[in-house]
Amino acid sequence: MEEYPEELRTPPVTLISIVGCPELHTTISKHLHSEQPPINTLALPDFTKISLFSKPEPADPSPSPPIGILKRDWLTKHRTKIPSVLAALFSHSQLSSDPAAWLQVCSHIDQIKTVLRPRNIKLLVVVVLSDSNEDVSEDRMLALRKRADLDSKYVVVFNQNEYSQSLQRLGSVLAELANLYYRDEGRRIKLRIEKKTFSSPGLELHIRYCFKVAVYAEFRRDWGEALRFYDEAYHILRQMIGTSKRLPAIQRLVEIKIVAEQLNFKISTLLLHAGKVAEAITWFRQHNASYRRLVGTPEAIFLHWEWLSRQFLVFAELLDKSSAVIKNISSLVLATTEKPLTEWESRPAYYYQLAAQYLEEKRSSFEIALSMSETANEINNSAESVVPSTYVGQFARLLEQGDTFVMQPLTDEEYIRFAVAEGKRFQDSFEIIALLKKSYESYSNLKVQRMASLCGFHMAREHYAVGEFNNAKPLFEGIANLYRQEGWVTLLWEVLGYLQECARKHGAVKDFIEYSLEMAALPASSGTDTQSFRFKDCGPAGPASLAQREVIHKEVLVLVSGESGLASVENSTNLKITGDNPLHLEIDLVSPLRSVLLASVAFHEQIIKPNSSTLITLSLLSQLPLTVEIDQLEVQFNQSDCNFIIMNAQRSPLASMVDDKQGCRVETSPSLTLSTNRWLRLTYDIKSDQSGKLECTSVIAKMGPHFTICCRAESPASMDDLPIWKFEDRVESSPTKDPALAFTGQKAAQVEEPDPQVDLNLGASGPAFVGESFIVPVTVISTGHAVYAGELKINLVDVRGGGLFSPRETESLSMDSHHVELLGISGPEGEDETQLGTDEIKKIQKSFGLVSVPFLKCGESWSCKLEIKWHRPKPVMLFVSLGYSPHSNESTAQKVNVHKSLQIEGKTAVEFSHQIMLPFRRDPLLLSRIKLVPDPDQPASLPLSEKIVLIVSVKNSAEVPLRLLSMSLEVDNEGIEGSCSMQHEHETLLDPALLVPGEKFKKVFTVISEANSSKLRLGTVCVRWRRDSVNEEKSGSTIVSVLTTQTLPDVNVELPPLVVSLDCPPYAILGDPFTFLVKIQNQTQLLQEVKFSLADAQSFVLSGSHNDTVFVLPKSEYILNYKLVPLASGIQQLPRFTLTSERYSAGFQPSVTASTIFVFPSKPHFKVADVEDKRRESIVAE
Amino acid sequence: MGREVSESCVDSLLTEMVSSYCDRFYANKPDLAARRIEAIGFQVGLQLSERYTMERPRFSDHLEAIKFICKDFWSELFKKQIDNLKTNHRGTFVLQDNRFRWLARMSVDPSPENGDLSQDNPPAENKAAQATSMHLYFPCGIIRGALSNLGIPCAVTADISNLPACSFVVRIKA
Amino acid sequence: MIVCVAVVGHQNNPLYIQSFTEADDALKLHHIVHCSLDVVDERVNNPKKSGPTLNETFLGLLYPTENYKVYGYLTNTKVKFILVTTDLDVRDADVRNFFRRFHAAYVDAVSNPFHVPGKKITSRTFAERVSTIVKSFGLSSAG
Repeated sequence: MEEYPEELRTPPVTLISIVGCPELHTTISKHLHSEQPPINTLALPDFTKISLFSKPEPADPSPSPPIGILKRDWLTKHRTKIPSVLAALFSHSQLSSDPAAWLQVCSHIDQIKTVLRPRNIKLLVVVVLSDSNEDVSEDRMLALRKRADLDSKYVVVFNQNEYSQSLQRLGSVLAELANLYYRDEGRRIKLRIEKKTFSSPGLELHIRYCFKVAVYAEFRRDWGEALRFYDEAYHILRQMIGTSKRLPAIQRLVEIKIVAEQLNFKISTLLLHAGKVAEAITWFRQHNASYRRLVGTPEAIFLHWEWLSRQFLVFAELLDKSSAVIKNISSLVLATTEKPLTEWESRPAYYYQLAAQYLEEKRSSFEIALSMSETANEINNSAESVVPSTYVGQFARLLEQGDTFVMQPLTDEEYIRFAVAEGKRFQDSFEIIALLKKSYESYSNLKVQRMASLCGFHMAREHYAVGEFNNAKPLFEGIANLYRQEGWVTLLWEVLGYLQECARKHGAVKDFIEYSLEMAALPASSGTDTQSFRFKDCGPAGPASLAQREVIHKEVLVLVSGESGLASVENSTNLKITGDNPLHLEIDLVSPLRSVLLASVAFHEQIIKPNSSTLITLSLLSQLPLTVEIDQLEVQFNQSDCNFIIMNAQRSPLASMVDDKQGCRVETSPSLTLSTNRWLRLTYDIKSDQSGKLECTSVIAKMGPHFTICCRAESPASMDDLPIWKFEDRVESSPTKDPALAFTGQKAAQVEEPDPQVDLNLGASGPAFVGESFIVPVTVISTGHAVYAGELKINLVDVRGGGLFSPRETESLSMDSHHVELLGISGPEGEDETQLGTDEIKKIQKSFGLVSVPFLKCGESWSCKLEIKWHRPKPVMLFVSLGYSPHSNESTAQKVNVHKSLQIEGKTAVEFSHQIMLPFRRDPLLLSRIKLVPDPDQPASLPLSEKIVLIVSVKNSAEVPLRLLSMSLEVDNEGIEGSCSMQHEHETLLDPALLVPGEKFKKVFTVISEANSSKLRLGTVCVRWRRDSVNEEKSGSTIVSVLTTQTLPDVNVELPPLVVSLDCPPYAILGDPFTFLVKIQNQTQLLQEVKFSLADAQSFVLSGSHNDTVFVLPKSEYILNYKLVPLASGIQQLPRFTLTSERYSAGFQPSVTASTIFVFPSKPHFKVADVEDKRRESIVAE
Repeated sequence: MGREVSESCVDSLLTEMVSSYCDRFYANKPDLAARRIEAIGFQVGLQLSERYTMERPRFSDHLEAIKFICKDFWSELFKKQIDNLKTNHRGTFVLQDNRFRWLARMSVDPSPENGDLSQDNPPAENKAAQATSMHLYFPCGIIRGALSNLGIPCAVTADISNLPACSFVVRIKA
Repeated sequence: MIVCVAVVGHQNNPLYIQSFTEADDALKLHHIVHCSLDVVDERVNNPKKSGPTLNETFLGLLYPTENYKVYGYLTNTKVKFILVTTDLDVRDADVRNFFRRFHAAYVDAVSNPFHVPGKKITSRTFAERVSTIVKSFGLSSAG
C-alpha cells in the first residue's frame, strides 16, 4: 500500500485558493485546515499569479481517440493545483478610497473571471475591514457584486474586529462554494456519460469519466456516489479486456490491471471505512475471481503474479488497519447467506499468506522469464530510459530530442525487458519471508497453530533456500513438534528432511544423527496411503517411504561405524565420529527418539531379599527399518554395584570397552540383534546386598566404537505408547512374555534388609506399680552377626496413643508431668555404673533413650537395665530397637535393625481407705449435718473437743504379695494453728507386714480436734512398702522400698450444742435389770429446751418417762434414768431414743449400733483374759 | 442396517467368554481376567457408539451423552431403556436397569432370604456374587467405551445388591 | 472433482488420507487437510459462528483456498472427515450426501473387530468403498 501515491491512498481534500490581502493568508489557511472537514488553501501572493489556473488551449480540438484510461496526474492536479473556489480579498482602502483603486479592483475581478470561467472555478469576493468605523458604501458593494457577477451571498465582509466570527463565516461560505463546485463538475461529467453512447474505443473515456465523478463525489464526501461510480468504472474496465485493441497485448493488460487495482483499492477502502467488512471481503473475493485467471502471455506471467500478490497484500493491510474497528467477526460471517464467508477470510493473516504464496509464484515464473531474457542478453541498455507515461499503467521510452524529451511507446518485448530489469532489483525471498512472518504472527496470536505452522514452514523453507539455517532451524523444530504430536507422518518427514539437511550443512553431527534416526524410525511405510509424491515437493529428504528410510538408516550406520567421514556430506570434514569426537545420544521418556530405541525393564519380583538373586527382564524395541546390531549393552542401576554389561558374543570385544569397566559384571549374550518392531528380551539374574530401592535407571547401547545411545529405562506397567507409532496398525506385543509381568512389571524393586542374627530380649516381669522404679532388663545376644556400632533406641509410647503426659499437666513443667518416665539406663549386671561411660549413654529423655552397644563378637551378649517409673497407672508400650551393622566397615555397611516391643501395665500397688468413728454411744448434734441435704462434696463434720477414732486401711491391689514396712500419718498443719492433736505411732513396723493380694492392713489413730475450724486437715497417710520377693535374700538391698502417700480428705470441726450419751453396761443378762442412762449435755451458754421420746422395745421391759419436754441449763447435763429388764437374749435393740431440740428445731437419734446391746442368756464367765480381746475391748470402749 | 442376532447367542457368547477368561486363560488371576473382559467390552462399546451416534447432532454436554446411553444406546442393545437415572450433578451418574437382560438368566442362590443358610456358607454365596460380577465387567466396559468415544473419560462399576436389578455407576474423570 | 478425502482422529491424527489427483500435489493436500483442522477447532469452540444448526455434524465450507474448497464434518466421537474439492460450484446437498455415505463407510470399517480403535484405517474394502463414493460425487444430483 505504501507504494501507492499519496493522492490515491488518502481521501481527497477540498482545495481553494485565496488572493489579495496577503497578510491574512496564513490565518485563513490555518483556520481552513483545522475545519472539519479540512480545506487546503492555495494562497496566491498577488493577482498576477491567477493565470496559473488558466486552462491551456487544447492542441487539437477534434476529439481524438484516447490513448489511455486515466491520466496519471489528474488526481494530483485536483488536489494541489486546481482550486474549487477562488476567494479574492479586497481591503477597505482598495474599495472605498480613490477611484483609481476601484478601477484596479474592477480589472482584477475581470481578469479573475476570464481565468476562472473555463474551469468553472467558483469566485468569492471578500471585503476586508480592518476597523470598526470603516464601512463600505452600499453602492460600492452593489457595484462590486455587479462587477463580479455574484450573488450577494458570495460577497462576504471580513471584519477584522470580529475575527473568529468572520473566519467562521468565510469558512462556511467557502465550504459551500467548494461543494457546489465539485457537484457541478460531477454533474457536468455525468452529463457527458449520459449523453454519449460509448463505443468500444470509447470505453476508456467512460471509465475516466466515472472515475472523475467518483473523485468529485469523494471531494464532497458523498461516499455512496463515489462507490457507485468507482464500481461502474471497475465493471466497464472489466469489459475492456478482450475488446480493447489500443496497446500491445501485454501492456494493454498491464494498464487494465493497474487501473483495476486502483479502483479496487478505492472501493475496498470505501467499504471498509463504512464498516461494511463483509461486503468488502465479498468484493475482494470477486475482484480476485475475475482477475486471477488473467495470467496473460507466458513471458509476462510473473507480472500477473506480482500484481495478484500485491492485491492480497494491500487488502490484508487494509483489513489489518480496520480490524481494530471490527471487534466481532462472527456477526459479519452471517451477513451474507448466499456464499457464506469462512472464518479466515476476515483475517488479515489469510491475505498475507496468499500474498506470499503468489509472490512465490511470481518468483518462480520470474526466474523462467529471466532465463529466457538472459539468452537474449540485451537487457540493460534500453531499460534505463523507460519511465511511466502520462497515463496510469503505461510506460514509455523517454527520448531526448535536442532540448525536449519525447515519449515513445514501447513494444511488448521492450516492455518485458524493462519489467525484467526492474524485477531483478527486488529480493523476493525477503519479501516473501516478511509476508509469511506477518501471517505467521497473526495466526499465532489467534492460536491458529496449524495455519501458523504452515506459514512457519514456508518461512523456514525460504530461510533454508537462502542459506539462513540458523533462522530456519528453530522454525522447523517448532513445526516438527506439532506434527509429532498429531502424528502427521508425511508432513513430519518433510520437516525433518529439512532439519537433517540443516544439520548436515552446519556440520552438527549429533543433530544430524538424531534427525536421521528419527526419520528412519518414522512409520512411513510403503503402505496404502503413501502415494508417489512428486520428488521436488518432498523437501531434501525425498518422499517418505520405506526405501528412503532404509537409505537414511544405512547412512547413519556408516557414519556411526566411524569408518568414513561420508562423502555425501559436502564441504564438511567434521561430520565424523571418532575417538576424539564420540557421539552420545540420550533418549528420555518424551524424546521423539523413543521409537528408535525403547528399553523396558521389569523385575520379576517386587521385593527381594538381600544377597539373594532375582530375575530381571530387559526388553529392547526398535522401529528402525533395518536390523540393528548392538555391540554392547550396559545396564545401569541406582545402586552402581549392580550395573552390568552384556557383550555381544558375535562381536569381538573391543579392547577399550573392557578396560573401561574394571570389576564390573560382564555377561555375554549370543546375539544382540534388534529387528524392526520385535522385542529383544534378555533375562538375567541380579542381586543386591544393599537394602532399599533398586531401580534400573538406564540402558546404554553401544554401536560402533564411538557411538552410544543412553535410553532411560521404563516400567512395562506404566509405559506410554510410542509416539506416532501408536496410530499405526501394527502388531503389538508386550515387552515380556509373561502377560502378568507386562501388566505389573516395574523397573524398580525393594531390597529388604538382611535378616538380623541378633536376639534382643526384654525380660520384664509382671505389672509395674505406680511409684516404684520398674526395672526392665534388656539383653542383646549375638547369635550370628557380630555387632558393630550398635545402638539401642528406647521409646515409651502410650498404648492408647497420644503422649505420655496429659495436656493439663504440661503447663506445670515439673518432673511429674510425665505419667511414665524413663529414669535411667544402667549398665549390664555385674558391671559398675561408672563403666557405662557418659558417651555410651547418649541420650535419655522422659520417654526416649539412646544407648550405644559395645562391640560384640559372635556369640557374646550384653545387657542393660531400663528403669522406668510410673506416676499414674496406665499401660505403656516399650519399644526397643537395636540398629547395628554386621560388618566393621561402617561407611558402606548396611544397618540391620531388630525391633522388640513390650506392653507394660502400670498399676497402683496399694489402695487407701479411711473411716472416722465418733465416741461410742455419744452422739453430738451437729447442726451442719441436719441443716443441709446430704452433699457428697461436703466434708465430713466432726464435733469439737471430742476424741475421734480414725481408721486408715491399706489394701494390696497388686497381684503380687507386698511387704508393708511402715505406715504413718503425717500432719501438715501449716497455716492452721493448733487445730487438733493426734496420737500417732511413728515407728515403723518391726516386722514388715506381709500383705497378700487383696488383703487389708488397718491402723487406728485418735484425733481430738481443738479448734473450731471449717476445714481440718487430717494429714497424709504415708505407706512404705516393697515387693515381697522370693529371692529377697539374694538381691538383698537391691529392692528399694517405695513410699506411697495419700492425703486424707479435710473435715469440718464444729461445736455441737447438744451431746447425747447413752450409758448402759457393756452387756446385759436375760432377766437381769440394768440401768440405762441418757445424758443430754448442753454445751452452749443458752438454755436448751428439748423434747425427747423413748419408744418401746419388744425385748425389754422399761421404766421411766416415755415422752417429755425438759430444759437443760447452759453448760450442764440433764440425765434421764431408766431401768431395763431384757426379755430376750442375743443382740438386742435398746429402746429408741429420739431427741428434738426446740431451739434448732432439729431432732436426732443415736445411731443404731450405739443403741444395741448384747444380752447373755445367763451370766458369762471370762476366765482367759486375751490380749487381743482386751485390745478390741479397749477400742470398742473408746 | 437391520442386522440382528439371536439373543441366546449373545448370552452364550458372554457366558463362554467369561468362563474362558476366568477358568482357563487367567484361572488364578481374577484381576487380570476382569481387566481383559472389561477391555473387550470397551472396544465393543467404542465401536457400537460409533455406529449408533451416526446421523445425530453432536452432544453439547455430558448429560446429553449419558441420556443417549440410557435411551437409544440401551434400546439398541437390550430393546429397553434404562429405568432410572440419578446424578449428583458432580460427575457421578447411576444408571439402573430393573431387569438387566444379561443377568436375567443368571441362577441366583435359591434361598437368598434364608438367613441361616447364607450364614452357613458365606464362601458359596460370595463365589456366586463373584461369578455374577465377572459377567458385569463386559457391560461396564461397553458403557465406558461408548462414553470414552464420546469424549467423556470415566470409570464404570456395577452394583448388584438386588438382583435382577443392576445399577451401573459412572464416575466421570475430571 | 474431489481431490482428497481424509479421516482425522480425535487427537487430530490422520486416520486415513487419500488423494485422487495426478499425484503431484499430495503433500500440499496433506497440508491443506491439516490446516483445515484449525477451522474445525474454531467452529467447535465458537459454535455461534458455525452454520445453520448448532452441533450439526456437517460443518460446511471450512475455507476456500485459491484452488480448492475444503468441507468438514465432525462426528459425535470427535472424528473429523475432510473433503477437498476443485469444483467451484458445489451444492451443499451433494456434500452432505457425500459425508453421510463416507461416515457409513467409516463406521463399517471401524466396526471390524480386527480394527483397533484409534489406529489408522488400513482396510482395503474401505479404500475401495471410499473411491466409489468419491467417483459418484455429484452424479446423483446431476441425474
